[in-house]
This record gives sequence, C-alpha cells and structure tokens, in this order.
Amino acid sequence: MNSWERIGVIFRKETVDNWRDRRSLFSTLAYALIGPGMILLMIVILGGIFRTEAEKPLELPVAGQENAPNLIAFLKQNNVAVVDAPADPQAAVRNGDIVLALVIPAEYGEAFTMGQPASVQLLVDSSRTSASPDVSRARQLLQAYSGQIGTLRLLARGVNPNVINAVSLEEVDVSTPQSQAFIFLNMLPYFLIMTVFLGGMAAIIDATAGERERGSLEPLLINPAARWEFVIGKLLASVPFAVVTILFTLVAFGLIFTFVPTEKFIGMRLTVDVVALGWVFLICLPMILLASATQMIVATFAHSFKEAQTYLGWLPLIPALPGLALAFLPVKSDLWTMLIPTFGQQLLINQLIRGEVVNPTNIVVSTVMTLALSAILIYIAIRLYNREQILFVKSSG
Amino acid sequence: MIQVTNLHKSFGEVRALQGVSFAAHDGQITGLLGPNGAGKTTTLRVLYTLLTPDDGAASVDGFDARHDAMEVQRHIGALPDARGLYTRLTARENIRYYGQLQGLKGAALEDQIEGLIKLLDMDAIADRRTDGFSTGERLKVAIARALVHNPKNVLLDEPTNGLDVMGARAMRDVIRRLRDARHCVLFSSHIMQEVAALCDRIVIIAHGRVMSDGTPDELRQATGKESLEDAFVAIIGSEEGLER
Repeated sequence: MNSWERIGVIFRKETVDNWRDRRSLFSTLAYALIGPGMILLMIVILGGIFRTEAEKPLELPVAGQENAPNLIAFLKQNNVAVVDAPADPQAAVRNGDIVLALVIPAEYGEAFTMGQPASVQLLVDSSRTSASPDVSRARQLLQAYSGQIGTLRLLARGVNPNVINAVSLEEVDVSTPQSQAFIFLNMLPYFLIMTVFLGGMAAIIDATAGERERGSLEPLLINPAARWEFVIGKLLASVPFAVVTILFTLVAFGLIFTFVPTEKFIGMRLTVDVVALGWVFLICLPMILLASATQMIVATFAHSFKEAQTYLGWLPLIPALPGLALAFLPVKSDLWTMLIPTFGQQLLINQLIRGEVVNPTNIVVSTVMTLALSAILIYIAIRLYNREQILFVKSSG
Repeated sequence: MIQVTNLHKSFGEVRALQGVSFAAHDGQITGLLGPNGAGKTTTLRVLYTLLTPDDGAASVDGFDARHDAMEVQRHIGALPDARGLYTRLTARENIRYYGQLQGLKGAALEDQIEGLIKLLDMDAIADRRTDGFSTGERLKVAIARALVHNPKNVLLDEPTNGLDVMGARAMRDVIRRLRDARHCVLFSSHIMQEVAALCDRIVIIAHGRVMSDGTPDELRQATGKESLEDAFVAIIGSEEGLER
C-alpha cells in the first residue's frame, strides 16, 4: 500500500463524512447564494431608484412667482412642480426643510423687458449632498430658459444665434449599456472569492479542529500513515465541496443574467457569456487549494470547532477586500497584479465578465503564483501536523 | 513484545517520565498501575509514536518507536485516552476506515470486521451511525477498530473508564481472550482490583518512575504483605490516587 492509496482512503472517508453533514452542506450553499442574491437586489432596488429619480417631477419652491409668469410656465412644461416658497426661504434651505428654492425678485420683470440680465437666485446648501441632483436639474433648466430667450432676442435683431456659440460642447457618452451595467457586475469577483473560501471551509474545520474536539485525532494518528498523507487527504477532501459551491454560485449568476429582465429595472440588458463564466470557474480552481491550506493552518490553532469557525469566518475578507475596492477604484490588470494571489484572479474575473480580451500570460502567472503560495502553505500545515503538540492544543492532557 | 528502556519526557517544567523501564511479553497481560498523573498515558503515547522521548527508547517487536514509527504502528492496536468516533459514519464504517489505513482491503477486511462484530457482540449496532451510542457501545467500536488488523500487541489506556459493571466485565473478558490468543496486552489502570484480577505482570508507576515490576506473587514477597492491596500501598508509599 503506497502513500497515494492511503491518501485516497483518507480522502474518501472525509468526503463521505462531510457529504453526510447536510446541515453544513445546505448552509454553505445558502451562503453561496448571498452574492447573486445581493446583486439581483441591487439591480431591482437601485435600478428602480435611479429610474424614479429621473422621472419624478422636480419639486421647486419659488418665491415671487408672479414676477416671472413666462419662466414659471417654462418650468412647468419641463416637469417641475412649482410650489410656493416659505416666508423665509433662506432659513428654510439652511435648516434643511427644503433642499433648494428659487427667488425671483420684483425687479425681474423690469430688467427682462429692458433686455438686461434679469437676475434670479437659486438658494442651495452645498454642504448637503442629497440636494445635488435636484440643484443641477434646476440649474440646467434655468440655463436652458436663459439660452432660449437669448436665442429669440438675437433672431429678433436679425443676428444668427450661433455667433455666441464660440465653442460647441457636445458630450458623447461612450459607455455601452453593458459597461454601465457593470457597476453591478464589479461586485461579482468579491462574491466569488468569498465562495472560494467558504465552499471547503466546513470540511476543513471538521477534518482538523473538529477531529480534535471529537477526540478522534489521537487514535487516527496512531494508524500507519505519514502526517503529510493525512494533511493532503484532508485538504483534497475539501476540494469537491468548494468546486460544487463555486459552480452553484456561477450558475446562479448565469441564471440571473439570463432570465431576469434586467432591462426593466436598469434600462439595459445584462448578459454574461457562458464561455466567460467557464473561464472564471477555471481561474477559481487554484484558489481552492490556497483557501483550504490557509484554513487548515488557522484551524490547527483553534481549540474547538466553534473557535475555528469564528476565525475562518473572517478569513475570506482579507483576499476579498481588494475585490470590493475594485468595484470603485479602477486597477489595470498589469503583470505585477498577477503576482498577488487572489488579487490577480479578481482582475481577470472582472475582465472576463466585461467581455474584454484576457492576456493568457496573466492567467498563467496568477495561477502559478497561487499554486506556489499554496504549496508553501501546505508545507507549513504538514510541519504543524508533524509536531507532537498537534494533539494537545485542546487542554485535555 | 514491548520493551521500554529508561524513558524520559518533560513538558516544559513538568517531568512526566524520569527513567521508565519495563517489558511486556507475548501471551501475558501486563498492567501499568499508578495514580492519575503518574505517567501512564505519556508512556503509552511514546509507545504509539505520538510522543518522542527526550531520552531512552521504546520498541515493539524489535521496531524502534522513534526511528520505525510506521512499523510500530502496524504492530500495535491501541485504545488511547481519546477515543472519539466519527458520528456520521456507522460503527462498521468507523472500523473499516482504520482497517483500510492499516492496508487491509476487500474480503479479508470485511471478514475481519465481521469477526470483531461477533466477538464484541455488536450485531445490533454495527450498521447504525455512532451518533447517540452509549459509552459502552462507543468503546466497543473503538476496541474493534484498534484490533481490525489483528495486531500482535494491544495497548489499552484505562479501558474500563466510564463503563458500568457489565461493560467492565465484558471488557476484562476481551482482554483475557486476547492473552489466550498469544497477544501481548499492555493496559493502564488506576484501579487496583482490576489490575489484581487480570494481570500476569504488574508495573507500578508513580511520579514518572517505575516503583516495582513483577508478578503478583513477586510483589507480595518483596513487600512481605499478605494481600496485593497492602503490597501496592507499601510500594507507592500512600493510597493517594488509587481506587479500590
């Protein structure tokens, strides 16, 4: 009987044992759905908020409506609900009772008739960020009105209105509907890394801290197998669970993008290529070993199943946080980023789901680096298992 | 055949073993008797290669525990202090796992398991998951998995701990049968009566040292006491930690 046969025995036992632990299995799969579920929620809720914000009439308190009936009529045409401003509009804006107010002074009409700039005041509190979309909408409308009247005046004097447009500014939004929607997809690498760390966690804890807590580690280690064989067998037994969990998450994402009518919520269709998801899956695989080896080392120091669970619950945050930052800070997938295990993969996953071309060298480098770090961690785990203290972390003597 | 020579082992400040030497022979039951904390479990752990002695040597059938750990592990069956089972596996699966780790497979393994289930009267529980087993039932599974490869040497750490009267009787019966089958049985206990009733040879250990080593008759003669109990007390110097 050689080492690999013994590793096979250990692997099969741990797999069967953990497969029967249905409670851990189901809770892992439920956790794996949190990512897709949150992205779905964000699409539905945030998409809904953006849409209603734009369509909702702008409520604009105006003081001195009677001074500019024409302007008021223009605003009403442009989806503004004009309401009477409170007696002291300045104080009301400062106190936050209203987010902005338009004050039309009595001199407005006279200046307007004379063809001079008729001044109006837009009262805002710039320290309140929540007001800004409303403020910019009001400002745009007032400028549009000003421009419209100015054009009419020039025409009335026989001047081509274009003479005052020395520079014509045209803003062209180059983002495709897809890339706008990727604000939501940027979260995906973060959730996938969580899944990678979560999938095999129950199996690893059960095989390490759990084994010790049950009092089955001492008799187990009396069997004629080298410690490294136990470490490898237990480590490998976590892999099928991690693989299934990752597949589960990816399928959930795929189903959301295929069957949820995202265009109804965010005004555009989200699609993710099945082939891209396949590559995402492959890129995740080497990280499983990294996750399991790290968890094994941490769990070795835990006194009990519960303690191990507490430590390991925090562990996925470390590699996943850069991924979360990626949702807000653009980082190019340069070669140096591929040298950092889990970080490189998150950039690659991001590229893949954006449908960008991925540099094969980057995939190779990040995979090799991840496997190399895993090998080092596995070596450390074996060293830990070779110490006689492995039996005594639990203070039973 | 188990041979222990001048074992020393310290855990930090605690000197658990300070020169333990004795031998346990095939076809004999050797009892390791001593109060709690005397060094019985540490000695056994050195023998099942989980601890490396600071000094001295332990060997099983001529294989050195330090240098030939795997060979020693093939030649012993052990019931250690911790005897947890896998609760999501059945009794039979628990036993089979250890058999496979010992290199058994196929019909030979299944026959061996079946024989142990008969020997330990475990038919009713063999294919139940061990979750919810009584102490006695768990102990039977732990014994069966320790014996699955039919080891020549059997090491039992306080085997009757936690058992009721019937369970302890059955356990002693198993130990005698192992002796009759020419196994070398080494078991530790802090219970005088048990050791007196079972053992062909008694090693009395206290404070990490062997205080006495011999047959019950030799112990009585050496101390000049009529009863074994008085002999024990005379050897250890007190009744501390011993149960009647």
